[in-house]
Amino acid sequence: MVEFLSYGFVQRGLLAGSLVAVSCALLGVFLVLKRLSLIGDGMSHVCLTGVAVALLTSTGPVYMSIPVVMLSSLGIMKLTQKFKIYGDAAIGIVSAAGLSVGLLLTALAGGFNTDLLGYLFGSILTVTTGETWLCVGLLVTVAGGVLAFYRLLVATCFDEAFAHTRGIPTQLVNTILVLITSVAVVLSFKVVGIFLISALIIIPPVSALLVSRTFKQVLWLASGFGVGSVWAGVYASFVLNIPSGAAIILINLCFLFACYVGSKKVRRD
Amino acid sequence: MQEVIAARGINFAYTRVPVLENISFTVQSGDYVGLIGPNGGGKTTLLKVLLGLEKAKGEVRLFGTPLAHFTDWHKIGYLAQKSPVAQSRFPISAEEVVLMGLPSSHALRVTRAEIREVYDAMQKTRTREYAGRIFNDLSIGQQQRVLLARALVSKPQLLILDEPSTALDAKSREMFFDLLGELNTHFHTTILLITHDTGEVGKYISKFMYVDKNLVFFGTKEEFCHSEEVARKLGPFAQHTIDHLHNQHGHCPLGATCQECRHG
Repeated sequence: MVEFLSYGFVQRGLLAGSLVAVSCALLGVFLVLKRLSLIGDGMSHVCLTGVAVALLTSTGPVYMSIPVVMLSSLGIMKLTQKFKIYGDAAIGIVSAAGLSVGLLLTALAGGFNTDLLGYLFGSILTVTTGETWLCVGLLVTVAGGVLAFYRLLVATCFDEAFAHTRGIPTQLVNTILVLITSVAVVLSFKVVGIFLISALIIIPPVSALLVSRTFKQVLWLASGFGVGSVWAGVYASFVLNIPSGAAIILINLCFLFACYVGSKKVRRD
Repeated sequence: MQEVIAARGINFAYTRVPVLENISFTVQSGDYVGLIGPNGGGKTTLLKVLLGLEKAKGEVRLFGTPLAHFTDWHKIGYLAQKSPVAQSRFPISAEEVVLMGLPSSHALRVTRAEIREVYDAMQKTRTREYAGRIFNDLSIGQQQRVLLARALVSKPQLLILDEPSTALDAKSREMFFDLLGELNTHFHTTILLITHDTGEVGKYISKFMYVDKNLVFFGTKEEFCHSEEVARKLGPFAQHTIDHLHNQHGHCPLGATCQECRHG
């Protein structure tokens, strides 16, 4: 364990992974309760477009993907609000568009290569110092936002119509939530890979919701599950020589199962 | 008398199917208006338009201010037709739900004054005993009373209620309408209430509004009961409503002026 922690790239990976996991968990609680959790899945597919553009233009995939995914998330919001398309359908449309454009651009860029595979399946140990600072910025924004607007966010999640009648700008709240989630999704693809990002947004909050009695408890527990899964996943990957992204998500699933069993037991008692 | 709600030329359509057409009316301070009409007639949509939850053509003014510039939301209490959370895992207590009715002055901290106001509102709706329980663990009727406390907690001057009594048992319904009547009589609270319960609410209501895509009728209870035009336009529904008003209370709410009673 000590040897494992002595490597600089491992320390950086664990730090960035923990920061992203807490951000995703905090955002995920609100997205899951607003039944918007699949937006992470849609955005993750759009990441492929950003990565493909970056590979094609030899720029940084993270920096290229952030504006692409932000624009797509605004597209999802517009489709649901302006054209009255169901949220899941809008996510499906944007997700399919992102994936197909991404695949097309990937083909133009010379097909799949090791770089791209790293983004698809995650490569937490290749996180750069610049990306780690982005993760710090993300967590400060997310945690600061939750602290500053806690009651407003809970009210909007619980009952959007009533929140509107309290003068809360619910559409603005939703837009900001989705835009910040875009950044979290992009920063997560190094940690768990494009295919598994949505799991980091959905599973820790769902596990926490199973066993929590208060909203604050959910936020703390979801963050704890997220960080715990990153550390245990990276360690398992190091020891067993398995992909870190898959290990992180499988450990999250173990937490979910344990919470499910725990919640059943509490109800029986 | 202060103009509380003024609607002018309201038109609204869902994907080109008109739901509301050219609706204009004014609700004055202290009015207790029963909004009635057939299912799908646009009653709930009209309330949503008045609150800015649906965008419609026409002009809405609340307390004299155009809706787009209205900011005094604490003056309004709103109770929707359905409980907001169908999912069973929203971890929030009944008192936290009521707290949402207050304009939040602090992000995380709840002040003693806020707690006092929350408990006062819960006392009024007899939900104080559930204060610490998870909202979704309560029965639908109990949830509805907690939501009424949320609508009342900011001591609103206008209450907008969408079929609030459907999930309540007989005793709670009586308590509920007595409370609304008391708020209207003693505190001059203006009430706009969608209801099919014309008999039970009838003793308190001062005006009726009948909406069926158009504004078919808007006037006092006396005008509603006696208007031949209303009877002609509404047919069996008007007669049913009038009969209901009569039968419910054992005596005519309109007294000696009632044509129905004289005819009887």
